[in-house]
Amino acid sequence: MSVMENIFAGALPKTKLGLFDKRRLYNEATEIIRKFGLDIDPLEPVGQLNIAHQQMVEIMKAYRRNSDIIAFDEPTAPLTEKEIKILFELILKLKEEGKVVIYVSHRLAEIFQVTDEIVVLKDGKFVKTLKTSETTEAELIKAMVGRDIGDTYANLKRNDNIGDVVLEVDKLSNLVLKDVSFKLRRGEILGFAGLVGAGRTEVARAIFGVDPITSGEIRLEGKPVSFKNPGEAIRAGIALAPEDRKYEGLVMFRSIKDNVVMPVIDTLNKGIFVDKNELTKLANKAVEKYSIKTPTIDKKTSELSGGNQQKVILGRWTNEKMVTKVLILDEPTKGIDVGAKAEIYQTVCDLARQGIAVIYISSELTEVINLADNIVVMRRGRVTGIVPREEATEEKVLALAMRD
Amino acid sequence: MRKESFYRKYIRPIITHKVFSLVIILLALVVLFSIWSAAQGKQFFKASTLRNILNSIVLTSFLTIGAGMLLIAGDMDLSQAAVGAFGGIVLAASIVYWKLPWFVGIIICLLLCGVLGAINAIMVTRYRFPSFIATLAMMSMAKGLMYIFSTIGKGSDVASNIAVNNPYLNFIGKGTIGPVPFGIIVMLVFFLVYGILLTKTKIGLKIMLMGGNKAAANLAGINSKKILFALFVNASVLAGVAGIFSTGRLGQGSLLALQTNQFSGLTAAILGGISFGGGSGGMGGAFVGLLILNTFQIGMGVVGVNPYWVNVFSGVILLIALATDFISRRRLRSV
Repeated sequence: MSVMENIFAGALPKTKLGLFDKRRLYNEATEIIRKFGLDIDPLEPVGQLNIAHQQMVEIMKAYRRNSDIIAFDEPTAPLTEKEIKILFELILKLKEEGKVVIYVSHRLAEIFQVTDEIVVLKDGKFVKTLKTSETTEAELIKAMVGRDIGDTYANLKRNDNIGDVVLEVDKLSNLVLKDVSFKLRRGEILGFAGLVGAGRTEVARAIFGVDPITSGEIRLEGKPVSFKNPGEAIRAGIALAPEDRKYEGLVMFRSIKDNVVMPVIDTLNKGIFVDKNELTKLANKAVEKYSIKTPTIDKKTSELSGGNQQKVILGRWTNEKMVTKVLILDEPTKGIDVGAKAEIYQTVCDLARQGIAVIYISSELTEVINLADNIVVMRRGRVTGIVPREEATEEKVLALAMRD
Repeated sequence: MRKESFYRKYIRPIITHKVFSLVIILLALVVLFSIWSAAQGKQFFKASTLRNILNSIVLTSFLTIGAGMLLIAGDMDLSQAAVGAFGGIVLAASIVYWKLPWFVGIIICLLLCGVLGAINAIMVTRYRFPSFIATLAMMSMAKGLMYIFSTIGKGSDVASNIAVNNPYLNFIGKGTIGPVPFGIIVMLVFFLVYGILLTKTKIGLKIMLMGGNKAAANLAGINSKKILFALFVNASVLAGVAGIFSTGRLGQGSLLALQTNQFSGLTAAILGGISFGGGSGGMGGAFVGLLILNTFQIGMGVVGVNPYWVNVFSGVILLIALATDFISRRRLRSV
């Protein structure tokens, strides 16, 4: 589809005969492009434009519809500085024409540049409205953070006995990551904070042998390792509970017991057959250890609540046949109710007390700050800072997570 | 109390088992054709019909097992029938043209079929072609290779069927042990072995799990690529077995071997409750699925329905099987 067809999608001008009027379409499209002060050929296929210009075509489409309200959702993500400037000029122009512009962004600097008023939302709830001219960046961050840290965290039995370095990641880079370095110790909970897309999940996947590494080194107990697949990582003592329980964590339509034993099937030998007694024993132990609420280990995991599903995964990675040294939890409390969350927090602390080194990735700042011993903050594939718990405040972590 | 526990222990597992409903359908078909043929003054339900039905599923059964194992792991192979026909020709050519002993011919046949299966596997697991496309290409390649192999050592480059009269092959194709045809025995053994493989062994458990969710299985350390590779090779080697039986039965390596079985292996597997989405079903279901399909076809023949219509109805049966599979999977997903 060409630029002009995109701009007029759904409202192509027609001739008297009902055929579509290419000449008029060209003229009107050229008119709009000139108005926007852009250098785009209306006949060019959109697929051949760069991303910034594609975005501009989208905006022109919205403008052509003559809407009174135009919403931008993170529009600057793919744009360069120069292109952002063009976009902002455009937004000012729209404003002058009396249109309402809604601008959603996590880049605070931009918010202060283009807005008149700021609405702050947190956890899906409205917090407050601020006048841009009367507020400061610090005040805005405060409003974003809120003040509702319960005493859930105060009652946790933590591990105060952190040991030697188990995992050392040194200048790890791939398509997403750039020079990521950190150290993880025995019994430590290392939190990973950052905005969505900061590269936290990618760190986990790179360590676990899912995504390839282009440069850098991973050392497990001092020895350089590089896993070609998750199986190798698991045998070396690394475990990953992925963010998406449903599609990457569990085999939903199989039983709890099958899901628990997945990584250790090869150890369940009884001649050439699977040792079903051993299998049942392992599954029963997991159910008992994490008090998974189920009448039987034959229940399908799809029939369990989110919290219990997560416990099945924890049971999988900590069964007695595993030698888990490093446990990576990616958003373990996502979609889990508050009560079950507290249980998971204590479980994670217990695992740390047993000497397992835990990487705890979460988008909930309060959670990371209160649970982790140290917090690695990431931004666009880079580590922007490592903050110990004593020094961690939401303001500080958030500022690092948004630092450009 | 005792009575209830007896029911819970023995009866309920049977009637709630997926295969049970298939057996009911099979029995319903038998009753239907018995009454229908009786109304015409013929007899459907007799030993020779049973043997006919069992005999008719032997060739397809090997394709069904291969297709079923792949489907359970979440994949499929369209090239089976073509690979099997290729294998049948290789066997005949190695005995007739290359003057090799019959068992060497069988080994060469299975080996070459395995190689074609490995090519399927490499295209799918390494180069990530959709299996639909990779195996469709293999279907065409295997057909071409079949024509080529039928002329090697012949002294003419015109492809043709290869008549082969070897006592051992004749036994494989037409021999009996007691009253039971050899092919039926081999088929039953294969179903049993693969059934045990799937339900009792480590690789079987892994196949079920990776079919249920490949991404999760990979992240839990199950090497799904390796397993898939083995299953593609397995499907082709089993197709080779079907080719051997075909050559034995027909007394010739036929260029048209297994043509009518093109997709009946797949159909029977799906009919038998092996889901297109993978991760469910088993060999018992596949076996009964195969019986249903062939009982239907032979029964229609006995009552004298136009064979062209039998083809149409077979297609309808596949559609119904696919629709039920689709609906039950959607219901599961919404849980």
